[in-house]
Amino acid sequence: MASKLGGWAGEVLRVDLSTGRITRENTFERYGDVLGGTGIGYKVLWDEVPAGTDAFDPANKLIFGVGVLAGTGVPCNGRTAITTIFPTVWPKHLVGSGHMGGQFAARLKYAGFDAIIVEGQADHPVWLHVKDGTAVLRDARSLWGQGIRQATLGITQEIGEDSAVAAIGQAGENRVPMAVVMNSLSHSAGGVGGVMGAKNLKAIAVQGRGAVRIAGDKGEWEKLVKLHLTLLGANNQHVVPSFPTPQSEYYNPSSRWIGAPGKRWGAAPQGVALGSDIHSLNKIAYRTNNAVYFLGDSVWKYTVRGNGCSGCPIRCHTILKVPSVAAKYGINEVGQNTCAGLMFGRQFFKELVGVKNNDAAIEAAMIGMHLADDLGVWCNYMQVQRDFIKLYYNGTIKAKLGADEYKSIAWDKYEKGDPSFLFDLLPRIAHKRGELGTALGLGTGAHLQRWGIPETDWTDDHSTYYWKMGHPKHHANEDDGQCGVIINTQYNRDAQCHSHCNFVRSGLPIEVQKKIVAGLWGSPDGVDAIGDYRPMNVYKARRAKWSVIRKELHDSMSICNWMGPWIASPLKERGYGGDDTIESKYYSLAVGRQTSREELDRIGERIFTLHRALTIRDMNEVDMRGKHDTVPGWVYKDKKDLPAFSKGTIRMDRDDIAKGMDLFYAEMKWDQKTGAPTAKAYEDLGLKQVAQELRKKNLVGKA
Amino acid sequence: MEREGDSRRISETLRQAGLESAVSRRGFLQITTGTLAGLAAMRALAAAGEPAPLIIMAEATGMIIADPARCVGCQRCELACTEFNDGRSQPSMARIKVSRNLNYGPGGALAMSGQGLWGNSLVIQDTCKQCAHPVPCATTCPQDAIVVDRKTKARVVDAGKCVGCRLCQKACPWDMMSFDEEAEKATKCFLCNGSPKCVESCPADALHFVPWRNVAATAPRRTAPFAVIPAAKAATCITCHQ
Repeated sequence: MASKLGGWAGEVLRVDLSTGRITRENTFERYGDVLGGTGIGYKVLWDEVPAGTDAFDPANKLIFGVGVLAGTGVPCNGRTAITTIFPTVWPKHLVGSGHMGGQFAARLKYAGFDAIIVEGQADHPVWLHVKDGTAVLRDARSLWGQGIRQATLGITQEIGEDSAVAAIGQAGENRVPMAVVMNSLSHSAGGVGGVMGAKNLKAIAVQGRGAVRIAGDKGEWEKLVKLHLTLLGANNQHVVPSFPTPQSEYYNPSSRWIGAPGKRWGAAPQGVALGSDIHSLNKIAYRTNNAVYFLGDSVWKYTVRGNGCSGCPIRCHTILKVPSVAAKYGINEVGQNTCAGLMFGRQFFKELVGVKNNDAAIEAAMIGMHLADDLGVWCNYMQVQRDFIKLYYNGTIKAKLGADEYKSIAWDKYEKGDPSFLFDLLPRIAHKRGELGTALGLGTGAHLQRWGIPETDWTDDHSTYYWKMGHPKHHANEDDGQCGVIINTQYNRDAQCHSHCNFVRSGLPIEVQKKIVAGLWGSPDGVDAIGDYRPMNVYKARRAKWSVIRKELHDSMSICNWMGPWIASPLKERGYGGDDTIESKYYSLAVGRQTSREELDRIGERIFTLHRALTIRDMNEVDMRGKHDTVPGWVYKDKKDLPAFSKGTIRMDRDDIAKGMDLFYAEMKWDQKTGAPTAKAYEDLGLKQVAQELRKKNLVGKA
Repeated sequence: MEREGDSRRISETLRQAGLESAVSRRGFLQITTGTLAGLAAMRALAAAGEPAPLIIMAEATGMIIADPARCVGCQRCELACTEFNDGRSQPSMARIKVSRNLNYGPGGALAMSGQGLWGNSLVIQDTCKQCAHPVPCATTCPQDAIVVDRKTKARVVDAGKCVGCRLCQKACPWDMMSFDEEAEKATKCFLCNGSPKCVESCPADALHFVPWRNVAATAPRRTAPFAVIPAAKAATCITCHQ
């Protein structure tokens, strides 16, 4: 069943769970103008899901979308975007997407599909089996109630090891808004688990012997892949090592490139010494160890190896073997995840937050992975942990829980930082047990509302990291000044954009960064040193636009936005610059159609603007500037009251940010007053019908 | 016991049959009149216009070995194999095989061997052993389509001769034969003309291209092979094996 197209598998699967009817559509004919991933997701939501649809309503749709590069040897592909009306967006459910890595994206392509649109609601638990161009719904009643791991294992034992299974745990089954979908053991998509559970869909399993065709010359393709590999740094495209070495002109202690010569994967069989040539393309996987990065140097001895998405050499997941947790808690001594997933358990405990080289912290991390990745509980980029700490220590939890429920919880264990506390807490969330379990699973917005806490208690308090609409900041001014702030205003859940912060945190000295920025956006003033910010300018607005457009492009091509774009590199001979055209070069060769960077970015802009249109329509609000693109008060404050634009503070200035939004809207060609795209902006991007529908409701920006 | 006169005649006969390496390394074989009769039969076949069955005696000069302790399960080796050689990403056709062992180890999800991502995270990479004589895939091939690469002595499928019967797939004890469904031909690891692309692409230093040695004796079998040896070929075994 080989596809004749390049890149695309060729078909989108549509599954109506209410009727059991399964149909298919031609990907390119129907969705070619939005590529894949979130592009297909937004288009389906626009065309088919009415404004005001609740996340758990059968009328909501769940779109598992991958891109043309999924399943290929492009470094850092492997992402699946799951787009839906997102249940933790507050106060009204709006469009959002969760992203998961692992094996699912590649195996969906080999199974013959670019996306799966899930609609309706089954009248009993089902799972979907997709194999070599066909799909059937299977009874999942025997799987329902099980955790993600047991369900995945059961399905795999039945259909074979070449499958990838995306499943929900008890949290998703119970329609907990703070629930994930998980595949390949440790790869989760946040926030979408409850939508799947509300549809009575336990899992989707994909497998196939198909191919992803490269339409272009295979020799050219090989050359491009090899070029790209030379441009890679470590996780988050940090391009200089964290340690001084004669092999690198620069180093930066906060870089994620921590695999220094002499370090070892201590828990690998016989131990694996990382070797000395840090730039070797055969040792890219040795550069990153996120478990060590977040949990401390002492974790090298627990490291078995790196892991991650299919096709990616970076291995941002770390597999840890910690024998003590098996002995003490009776859980698997092997666990694995990355970033927030790794730290999940540790971050609940006030005295363990950010703590490294600490046995209790490591054990809490292991227990957190063990529980959360099976129950399928989400953290909302660690917002639930921050909420929990604040609400406990300010007495709110005690006030809001009934006396009996409060007494039933071992708070002494919690205060002591005893990791076993998690064995009680996390299942409460997954099963909506009691007031605490129910409230924590709602997402911050609904949680605060339920307990009568004004949102300003969070937006004025920097320690919450809360941004708006129920979600936290995600690389804002702490990384990238105004550029970061602008990006964080644009989404309905946390922004999940890394285009900008990958670069500013790459480890390169600011002079080098400024040179690269000047080359791309016209002036070195487009970037400032972190914590040494200067007033807003048009170059930063351009970089912010590029950031969000590239993020949507990546999410529609299955490129990992936690690694790309690749505007920096470890190569001194390139002035540490990368290649800003690499996405378009891959696209051109894979699909077999010469497409420039500008043309591809136009498609990214179309996809991003469609997200904007959805938000406007579903909020029934044209004043995005006033009602949506908001910035929390803490951004404009500083603990020591240092003024904005002085060294040592990340504090922003209101007027300056207002100017920033002006400049950003101007770059987007949106209405300055409302931040809403004008009819022309839609039409120029091929979204004429969108403009027409919005015009009928007076939701179009004025030119 | 062979006699000197016989040994010269035997060497010459073996050389004509392309079997001279059978005696070049391991010293003289026990040759009997039965053997000579077998050789005579082969020459008779040749005289009647039938080509002598291909019996691969040459050993490969190199092979790919894999260190499971280093494998990070990225599958870039599989992707490089088909993408760079065939212009499409198709792990089901990859000539180095990793994804089938990725999650549960070589035994699969029903064996619970404790390996793979779901066990101790060890990923066993399956590579072609470039078997010494008798080469199971080549011996089974009724078309003699699996031949020896000139440069590397790798065992390679000659697509021009392959008729897609798949008997080679059944013969390999390690299930290493691939099949190109589009071309309807078998395919296998051919060491990429001496620069294996999988080795080049591994980001964890887990694959190495090294001088060949015989690992077939110790590598655990993956499957119970079903090797059908064409009768004409089987008849020639007696040439050397009494």
